[in-house]
Amino acid sequence: MSERKKVLIVDDDPDFVEGIKAILDTEYDTEVTYNPKDGWEALKRGGHDLLCLDIMMGRGAEGVMMARKIRKDPVLREMPVLIITSLREQIAFLFPGQAVHPGFVPVDELVEKPVDPDLLLEKAATMIAAAEARRAAK
Amino acid sequence: MTGTGRRLLLIDDEEVVLDSCRAILEGSDHEVVAAGGGVEGLEQVRAFGPDLVFVDLKMPGMPGMEVLEAIRALDPTIVCIVFTGFATITSAVEAMQRGARDFLPKPFTPDEFRSMIRRGLEWRDLVVEAAALRREREALRENFAAIVSHELRSPLGAIQQNLFVLLKELAGVVSEDQQRRLERMSSRLGDLLALVNRWLRGFSVDFAGLKESFRAVSVAVPVAKAVESAQAEAVRKAVTIEAEADPEATVLGDEGTLTEAFLNVIGNAVKYSREGGRVQVSAVRRDEKVVVSVTDTGVGIPEADLSRLFDAFYRGQAATSGVGGAGIGLAVTRRIVESHGGTITVASDPGRGSTFVIALPALSTPAAGSEGAPPDQVSKGEAG
Repeated sequence: MSERKKVLIVDDDPDFVEGIKAILDTEYDTEVTYNPKDGWEALKRGGHDLLCLDIMMGRGAEGVMMARKIRKDPVLREMPVLIITSLREQIAFLFPGQAVHPGFVPVDELVEKPVDPDLLLEKAATMIAAAEARRAAK
Repeated sequence: MTGTGRRLLLIDDEEVVLDSCRAILEGSDHEVVAAGGGVEGLEQVRAFGPDLVFVDLKMPGMPGMEVLEAIRALDPTIVCIVFTGFATITSAVEAMQRGARDFLPKPFTPDEFRSMIRRGLEWRDLVVEAAALRREREALRENFAAIVSHELRSPLGAIQQNLFVLLKELAGVVSEDQQRRLERMSSRLGDLLALVNRWLRGFSVDFAGLKESFRAVSVAVPVAKAVESAQAEAVRKAVTIEAEADPEATVLGDEGTLTEAFLNVIGNAVKYSREGGRVQVSAVRRDEKVVVSVTDTGVGIPEADLSRLFDAFYRGQAATSGVGGAGIGLAVTRRIVESHGGTITVASDPGRGSTFVIALPALSTPAAGSEGAPPDQVSKGEAG
């Protein structure tokens, strides 16, 4: 049996984090940061297999800035990113041309808050497996 | 007081009137410009940007009434006062109906002129302030989505997320009755979240601003996407959706919102269909229009409800029929369609079904690559 995979959660709402952490804890080692700055430091330390990122943190789209930084990083850009979003971003999704839009990190998927536990686990597993397959193919 | 440094424009063909007005205002802080006729006066309205304009009603050339209307069209916050002779008091009344704030009968004393200026400028301040408040209210409305999104949705989402987990963790631990109550809580909370989402949608989106991202769209694309999204519910109800779209039928628009508009109508058709029913969707080019029609064999709409169907929050008989909804979908749909310069109409045969028809102005050339896209907005949206 291989070691448990590591998931980093970056979200500024502690109550929401508890809700998804409890789900992810059943299958993964989870680490939580509550702001993009700490999140970025954690990412730089490395060792994560998946990032769950809230894109609307703090005063606005701080998560988007973080996602942009990830995209520019030669190592981190290989890591799968699961975007967790509330309605506002969904609207942006419907209205291209606005600042917030999925597709700003190379590997990402999008789920809406609140997220169904089974869907969350399924997405996480699929994304981690796909990233491993990509690495193996290189 | 805001009386200092204001801009006054005098429009009168009588040189003596202009001269005496200027003489009265000598030494005041006001900047004064005079024009000898209507056409010149309007040029000054544009160039000088006055706070207050005095217009003589009886001038050769462009009549004072027309000048008034033109000023109002240029900037309704500019305050206009008319000069009148005693003989034209009835026309002064007409002038006020056409937007003049007040009238000053000739001849007038310097004090009368000065107090008219003071009152006119006070009115101007009120009008400008009211316009600023209106803009602020508008901005507030637009920010409503952001505010509610964070202040209302976030806590609801966090509660729901934890209920999801509790339901999983407590399965088999709590009694069946407790489990059922937890499920009800989660279900009611889900309804509340969905309702908040729909309201946000109805209030917050700036449909007029959409035009900036308009490009050539083959309606077959949003129609197909909408049909696909409606399919899940259709399968559940054993409703068949038959769709046919002419790929050459092209409009200038926004694909995302058009998809949403079509989805609202197709989704409604499925929602109000009986089990085993059929929904037909067609998109064709008809003369200068692209016509998308959605026909169902469902319950139909009572005639009394038809006229208010596209009003926000109106649910007609659906309100008591047990079919869920917030009365937002069709109102949003109409706003989307109208922002595309189109129309939406409905015909219904109660008990036998309804047909919704969305007609959009057709684009003569079919969509070809990025042609017709604004240069600065190459379609990043299609990558996702």
